[in-house]
Amino acid sequence: MMFLCAFKVPSVLHTALRNGLPFPAIACHLPVVYSSLFYRHCLYKLGCFPFTTSPKFTCPENCREPPAIKNDKPIKKEGRVHNKTAFPFSVFSAGAAERRKLMLKWTEETKDSKGRVSKQKTHKVPSKPLCAQEWKILKEESNRIKEFEEHMMQQIVISNCDINVAKSLLVFAAKESSIGYKLLRNYLILCANQNRTSEIYDVYEIMKARFKTLDTSALSLFIRGFSQTDHWEESLSLLETMKKVVVPSRRDYSNCILGALGKKKWKIAWDLYYEMLKSNLTPRLDTLKSLFDTGKDLKDDMFKSELVEVLLYMRHNRVYPDEALMWSIKSWFESIPGENWKGYVSAVESSGRCPTCSQSLESINLSQEEYGSLKDVILNDVIQGTDTFRKTTPEELQEFQTFVASHPPFDIVIDGLNIAGIFKRGCRSQILLSVVSYLAQRKLRLLVLGRKHMLNEPGIWLRQHMDLIQQRANCFFMENISEDDPFLLYATIHSGNQCRFITRDLLRDHRACLSDIQIKHLFLKWQRGHQLVISHYSPGNPVTFQPILSYDTIIQTTGDTWHIPYDMDNVTRASYEVPRKWLCLQRQNHKI
Amino acid sequence: MSFFNTLLKKAVKVTVFQPVLPEEARNALFLRAAHKLPPRRTLVLSVGMRKEEIQLVPSEKLDLDEWKNVIKSDLPKEGPEILEHEGDSSLTAIREMVKMWRMAGKIVPENISNEQLKVLMELTTKSSRKKYLKYLATKEHLKNAKKEKQMAKRKIMLEKPIETEEPSEPLNTLFLKFQPRTFACMYNWRAARAMKFGQPLVFDMVYDKYMTNMEIQNTISQLLETEGCNRRSPDPFHIHFCSLQTEGPYQKEFLKRYRETWDKLLVTTTEKAHIEMFPKEKLVYLTADSPNVMKTYEHDKIYIIGSLVDRSIQTGLSLANAKRLNLSTARLPLEKYLHWEIGNKTLTLDQMIRILLTLKDTGDWKKALEFVPKRKHGGFVDTQNYSQEKKELLKKRKVYQFGSSPKNIDKSLSSNLNKEPKPKRWWEEE
Repeated sequence: MMFLCAFKVPSVLHTALRNGLPFPAIACHLPVVYSSLFYRHCLYKLGCFPFTTSPKFTCPENCREPPAIKNDKPIKKEGRVHNKTAFPFSVFSAGAAERRKLMLKWTEETKDSKGRVSKQKTHKVPSKPLCAQEWKILKEESNRIKEFEEHMMQQIVISNCDINVAKSLLVFAAKESSIGYKLLRNYLILCANQNRTSEIYDVYEIMKARFKTLDTSALSLFIRGFSQTDHWEESLSLLETMKKVVVPSRRDYSNCILGALGKKKWKIAWDLYYEMLKSNLTPRLDTLKSLFDTGKDLKDDMFKSELVEVLLYMRHNRVYPDEALMWSIKSWFESIPGENWKGYVSAVESSGRCPTCSQSLESINLSQEEYGSLKDVILNDVIQGTDTFRKTTPEELQEFQTFVASHPPFDIVIDGLNIAGIFKRGCRSQILLSVVSYLAQRKLRLLVLGRKHMLNEPGIWLRQHMDLIQQRANCFFMENISEDDPFLLYATIHSGNQCRFITRDLLRDHRACLSDIQIKHLFLKWQRGHQLVISHYSPGNPVTFQPILSYDTIIQTTGDTWHIPYDMDNVTRASYEVPRKWLCLQRQNHKI
Repeated sequence: MSFFNTLLKKAVKVTVFQPVLPEEARNALFLRAAHKLPPRRTLVLSVGMRKEEIQLVPSEKLDLDEWKNVIKSDLPKEGPEILEHEGDSSLTAIREMVKMWRMAGKIVPENISNEQLKVLMELTTKSSRKKYLKYLATKEHLKNAKKEKQMAKRKIMLEKPIETEEPSEPLNTLFLKFQPRTFACMYNWRAARAMKFGQPLVFDMVYDKYMTNMEIQNTISQLLETEGCNRRSPDPFHIHFCSLQTEGPYQKEFLKRYRETWDKLLVTTTEKAHIEMFPKEKLVYLTADSPNVMKTYEHDKIYIIGSLVDRSIQTGLSLANAKRLNLSTARLPLEKYLHWEIGNKTLTLDQMIRILLTLKDTGDWKKALEFVPKRKHGGFVDTQNYSQEKKELLKKRKVYQFGSSPKNIDKSLSSNLNKEPKPKRWWEEE
């Protein structure tokens, strides 16, 4: 185990370092000079990491990389770019979860790397149209006489082969028995995949005559097939039929909007767009992209204000554009006549200043009323919920509330059990003590939350350590079966804006307790601004934290500028993470 | 030239249309068309034909779109039917849609009643509708399968007596054939004795507001099973359904399932809570969230089981109840005895009572935990992993090991097992 650790930890951090980021200890305080000397120095430091034993593995030559990263060259490139600008990498930045997963996978030794083999036996699909006799032979050869045609058609769809093969199969089916609905629908999928519009129309005529109604999947296929053709109005009526039974999916709306835009029916497109929003669907990014693309060619004030509305919608609902949409937005802005917009791709500095226009971004701090509502929500939804006894007891809650109220506001609230478990080696109380004393030296008012068992388990929690901790910080120990995280949140929020909390927990389960989506966004924003995560710890050395960004990652405008964060294509972003890259748009006419 | 054309036409007629079209259609299509063709057409035809002849096998082009004609030919002549229930158009629409979904191969029921449709309409999300339809479909499928099975059985039964009709001699037996009635009588005696002297077991019925309709139905099914198990055991519990509200959802479902038997059931039902009926210090709330692990089964304690099925995630619900009333809690020592693999550690109510009954009769954890579903664990914990000291201790007294394979058991010990009439169990001496 020791040996394995020695192998892995430096290598993982090595890759992380090459990717750019999590070395915030240095990234935060020093301007990073990216030299090989520095590189080796870092690695040497990493070698002193509590897990590692031998400096032999700390040289880059000996480090093995997880294979996934090796393939991922673009990331590496991006990472270096960031490193030059000393871009801080917090736990909420896009790709952090992915990176953690990679690390874990690497330590676990990927066992199930073999691709799953599908169990279903697949029949070979003929490459050219067969006549009825040949199909018959094939049918007898295959051991599934029942539903042979359906199965074959499915295979044809999967392998996306020539449409004539499918046609010949249909001829065979028509002669053999009759063409069922399922067979026709699968044929339709094939037509839609290959964009055979005339064929789709034929199938539509047939199906309309043959069946009273169509099922939803066929309806969406027809919508998709018709939207780009002259029959696009047909797709609108199909959408209406669909609405009678189910809520159409956002893909259906998207296809209809695309069709309307293609035929220059702006009003219909916007009506459909708002209707989609009304039924609580989040528009697809490619729908938005097509709207912006259309806006570029169309110099219309109405259309422009609608597009600004779209941007505000994205701001409000935390929809971040992907790279393709970002370029569309940029070119749309630049095409607005008479306003002279200029767009740049930039990475915002950790101070919250955009390097291209040197303007400060919105602060991550909540407003006073937002703070108040969040405080109530945490108390009502997260701690009490439907039943106070589920997470704590009313007496304990009362006791804690009086405890918090009787102390002056804290600067840092520490989740003791979480911190103590940050590294598997070493005495748990020792780790907690060193973190507490490091922070206490900076004259910070600390609150350590823990459970009562920490006080009477002498084997794990050393008495003298606990005494020292209690001297240096205020402590609150709750029942062993109570949850500590809600208290952590409450104490932090109660202490005010300057207070931070330390835990490695991402608090996803507590976020899930919140009912309203806007409150969830608010909570996440607050969490991004107030959560400290320990990035590096070794006994005796100063504790380092992952940086907290001072600005909020959200689409924002000041009238003359727009700042739009966007997702890079090669980075997977978890739902609670925010993008790292920005599009900076500025109006330049006032300068000239 | 014209001679050649007729020859070619004939050839085409034979090769192409023969296999493709039905007899009447062929006559109608081809012959009439041939009559009507003006002389000029023959020339065009000949050119086209020759081209095809050169390029590809003659059947190719004609084949491909032919299915469309076939489909169009068997269209119903009258056109679309007039809808029957015009009053409730949305219901009809969704009924039609369900029909189409079935044709498209989705898992939906064949027949759906109006009440079910209304329930379906009330569901708001797509996935919940899909789930409900799937549920109805499986239910329908099971029902049909059962019916078929019964029909097959009846068929066999009808055929059988003719073959094996022999005058049977009256047998000389000590007893008449045991009727289920006899057993029922015996079980009822036992249950009645348990009502008088048995150890109480409480089912806490306060969770109805946390459950959906479906979950309540599941709970009641499990309780029915529980009661059956208890009745058949040699030494039953005295079952209490505490805090059972009359007219509440639990009660309604019970009445639906038990009907008139409900009043004759040998259990205690009460609206009172368990703390009002029993001394508080004797109560033990069994919950998987409890921090305390149950070590031994105590015969003077009153165990409480929450009658709750939670398909949704509701952690700490029964623990919260126990905390509120300040009761002692316990959970089964599942981790200690089993290599837990997958699944929730909450067990169903009937599994719980089987475990408790076995514990009560034998005190044997291994036997009791046999009732934990096999899919959830990978066998019993092997004592070979115990420390040397513990092993020595066990060897002296051991009757069997917690090993799933018989290989692990020492031969000397297993012979020991046969000799001793009633061996002492190792935990009793620990």
